[in-house]
Amino acid sequence: MAGNPRDKYCIVGVGETEYSRASGRTTRALGAEAIRNAMNDAGLTPDQVDGMLSYHGGDSTPSTSIQYDLGIRPNFYMDCSGGGSSTEALVGLAIGAIEAGMCDVVAIFRSMNGYSNVRIGGTGARASAPIGGLDLMKRPYGLISAVQQFAYTFTRHMAEYGVKSEDLAAIKVAHSIHASNNPKALMKHRVTVDDVVNSRWIIRPVAHLLDCCLETDNATCVIVTSAERARDLKHKPIYIKGVQGRGTKPGGDFHYQHGPISRVAGHYIAPRIFDLAGVKHEDVDITGCYDAFTYTVLLQFEDYGWCEKGEGKDYVTSGIINLGGRRPNNLSGGHLCEGYTHGMNMVIENVRQLRGTVDDYCPGALEGDHTYDYAEGGCRQVRDAKISMNMGWGTPAVGSSLIMGNVLS
Amino acid sequence: MPNYTYRGITLSIPENDSEYKGYFEAAAEGRLVVKKCSDCGLLRGEPGPGCPWCMSLNWEWQQVSGKGTIYSYQVVAHTVIPSFRDLTPFAIVLVELDEQRGQPTEFDGLRITGNLVDDDFNMEKEENVGIGKRVEAVFQPVEDGFMLPQWRLIDEPDQGFTWSHQVPEG
Repeated sequence: MAGNPRDKYCIVGVGETEYSRASGRTTRALGAEAIRNAMNDAGLTPDQVDGMLSYHGGDSTPSTSIQYDLGIRPNFYMDCSGGGSSTEALVGLAIGAIEAGMCDVVAIFRSMNGYSNVRIGGTGARASAPIGGLDLMKRPYGLISAVQQFAYTFTRHMAEYGVKSEDLAAIKVAHSIHASNNPKALMKHRVTVDDVVNSRWIIRPVAHLLDCCLETDNATCVIVTSAERARDLKHKPIYIKGVQGRGTKPGGDFHYQHGPISRVAGHYIAPRIFDLAGVKHEDVDITGCYDAFTYTVLLQFEDYGWCEKGEGKDYVTSGIINLGGRRPNNLSGGHLCEGYTHGMNMVIENVRQLRGTVDDYCPGALEGDHTYDYAEGGCRQVRDAKISMNMGWGTPAVGSSLIMGNVLS
Repeated sequence: MPNYTYRGITLSIPENDSEYKGYFEAAAEGRLVVKKCSDCGLLRGEPGPGCPWCMSLNWEWQQVSGKGTIYSYQVVAHTVIPSFRDLTPFAIVLVELDEQRGQPTEFDGLRITGNLVDDDFNMEKEENVGIGKRVEAVFQPVEDGFMLPQWRLIDEPDQGFTWSHQVPEG
């Protein structure tokens, strides 16, 4: 592939705010804190960061305000419209901006009061606004929230492949085990399959309450620079092996008109990412598979080829995705348990996992001294993780992916 | 078209709405229409400005039979829209029209969203929803000059792939 940037760029800093449901602060204050934390993590001063990228849904604060708060003067910035699956794509755009000579070090951030202010479902102030355009074909029928936007895909998949609520629940169970060893997680307690299937229904037959992620107030940040620049920074560089997206499936917003409805965007970009990164599925030690709902995880595992189409239910119930399993998923607890960040927390977690310094309950965690005792309230560091893969989800039709590693190919 | 209000939701369909105005104008007359490409002749389920098959920007509205089959669905047990709370649980269905099914490729169809309602436009019982059920378009009066396309079960055998979920007791 021409111009393959494999291993030429790195993530050198990660940071976030507290995950809460009442930040009591603006997205500007949250954003400034997350970027500052990522800069301190990398060992970067304001004069050394000259790029900013963010994504938002009309619910954030622009880079040009937050630059003031941290004394940064970007040579390049863009505030992009977007939600889930933007993180991975913006990592690629940061590489492009650096490669084009537009800047050298890019801070990518997402800041949102996703529970206390602008909720994804369009409730609150947004609900009373007049609707037009394509909402005319949905809202008068009571179709508004994210899980509803995805539900035609979920239901049809469930029907065609015999997925049960208990299969989906296994995903929440796994992520809750991981979150129980994450001091930052909003929901830290471990849950059972029964807990999930006995929680109240949201949308039948595809989502109980505990199949849905936790709307959260938070900001998150990752910092991208060249491998050359990364050498004299604080941490072992985490190399970017390949990035794809946001790629789509035929029809885009109207994907349910075309193609197999139970197929999602990952199907179309999967061959490109594995080719670009030069890795095979079996090389990957940990995954970060976007869990807006349990069903988004199952669909992406199938369409990225971790199992055959229709066997996602077996993959997620096999133990593979659990801590201690062959390829654990969403080790921070992800959106279902740590908090909903539109995908960036899963990239942050994989960076920390690949560094070997995940912030679990081990006393020496930040120095990389882990017990590998995965009992509740203990360790969540995966031993010798070398390659990670993130799979971002925007809608059934929109996705992105990112493969990282802690050694050169 | 002026603004209309349905269950507290303001529906704004301005004169320059080139996608949906004609759809709702026809619905107000009790007719279900889709866009037809004036060049290649193919219909499309989403009334966009261009033909997904030949890129032509020439189109006309075409009336369809209004009969179709439930392709997928969701039953709303919890709604985030306050004015819909008294309706739960209710079904939202994705209906595949009889016209142009499986064309131009086997996975394509003309698919339209609506609620599954009974003869009085009350929400249909949950146990009666299912993939493969036969339905027809009906038009629910909302305000003078505005009717909302909805779907009603018809007495025809299920068609193609069929499936329904287990309705919880109570």
